[in-house]
Amino acid sequence: MVHVGSLVQFSGHQHLRQRLVLSILSGKHVRIDKIRSEDKNPGLRDFEISLLRLLEKVTNGTIIEISVTGTAILLKPGIISGGTVTHECPLSRAIGYYLEPIIMLAPFSKRPLQLTLKGITTDENDLSVDLLRTVTLPYLQPFGISDGLELRIKKRGAPPAGGGEVQFLCPIIKQVKTLNFVEPGKIKRIRGIAHAVRVNPQFSNRMIEASRSVLNRYIPDIYLYSDVYKGDESGKSPGYALSLLAESSTAAIHCAEAVSKAGVAPEDIGLEATRALIAEVNKGGCVDRKHQILVLLMMVLGSEDVGRCRMGEPTPRTIQFLRDVKNFFGTSFKVVAADPSDLECSHLLYSCYGTGYVNANRTLA
Amino acid sequence: SSSRKLRRKDWTKLIYSTSLSPEEILRDKPREESLGDEMDEDDFFQIKKGEAGDEEILDSSKDPLDAEELKRWEDEDMLESIRHLFITGEAGAEAE
Repeated sequence: MVHVGSLVQFSGHQHLRQRLVLSILSGKHVRIDKIRSEDKNPGLRDFEISLLRLLEKVTNGTIIEISVTGTAILLKPGIISGGTVTHECPLSRAIGYYLEPIIMLAPFSKRPLQLTLKGITTDENDLSVDLLRTVTLPYLQPFGISDGLELRIKKRGAPPAGGGEVQFLCPIIKQVKTLNFVEPGKIKRIRGIAHAVRVNPQFSNRMIEASRSVLNRYIPDIYLYSDVYKGDESGKSPGYALSLLAESSTAAIHCAEAVSKAGVAPEDIGLEATRALIAEVNKGGCVDRKHQILVLLMMVLGSEDVGRCRMGEPTPRTIQFLRDVKNFFGTSFKVVAADPSDLECSHLLYSCYGTGYVNANRTLA
Repeated sequence: SSSRKLRRKDWTKLIYSTSLSPEEILRDKPREESLGDEMDEDDFFQIKKGEAGDEEILDSSKDPLDAEELKRWEDEDMLESIRHLFITGEAGAEAE
């Protein structure tokens, strides 16, 4: 069963997560060198090492070699095993950092994954658990990953001390459905989650009021929810945030959020999140910028047919991802103007021929 | 139609057939002269050096909020200008 996969090589600490994910899914070994080799403090950071440990936990037979200086790694992927796993996430990155790559792998496990992650649930740098739950997971639905897919927020944990806990439940699938998502539709509803832990609980309502003062003009179907956590469930540090999403008539979702900062009033955090959402809606397309990579990855894994999706311009991360995908799977996308007759329209049509990826781990049981 | 060609980027080619960095590709003015194969060769070592550089880049799906972009949306006219993207906006009726 074990065959020696070919080796893909990179240099630098950038884009680490997508390269590890692509290695595990494709079965190809990956070697990354020059990881902060010129830095005063060279090598992998604690969150990167923790991610490698987490990947070891959700797989079986994975071999990870880290050089003495920590500036080079070699990963020989095993099978994605799934099952019940618990992981303590270092506080240098929020739970989203660790969970995003797991979401890309979990549907292809041998057994359904039940993952408990502890750490920071919302921060400035990573997708919050609220956006992961309300936006990221629904983006998997058109690919046939939905029943039993769930993210439960057990405890919230703001930086710096965290104390949050989530449980991620993911079903396994045999094959990924081909995507054909080219109609952005019109925004029909807006949803939001405001939370405030270890601060005045009124802060949630103040963020919501400020957000409504801008959004009410557009549509009536707006529901901004104040999510209350008390005592031990509210983590170890004070913090608050507003996470927003706008859903279109064709189930395109755009999202944004803003997180508490010292000396900034809740109203201003609310307005920041709202304006960021409007900016995102204005960019349009069927997929939010933060989710381009997830959608493109699932298109690569899709059945042997042409998958199509209309999105805005790629982010720098997305461009590198497309190049990395070609290295691991040999798949390249066609990226062309979605509406060639309209020069004002920057939307692009991304299409590729699916690799017909089959979850082989599942049949090994 | 030739001006149209100049305005549109050839994304597939820029992504797969050049060694331009993602940031260079996304720059507003496409640098036509750098699309040629010869230029790729010349750029090769320089780009490689940048790629393995030690500038700390956060591996994150969430970009920091852009203060300038947010400022634009403080303006009433700007807010009104995107009504058509909502089902209640003009020309939105047929969507439902």
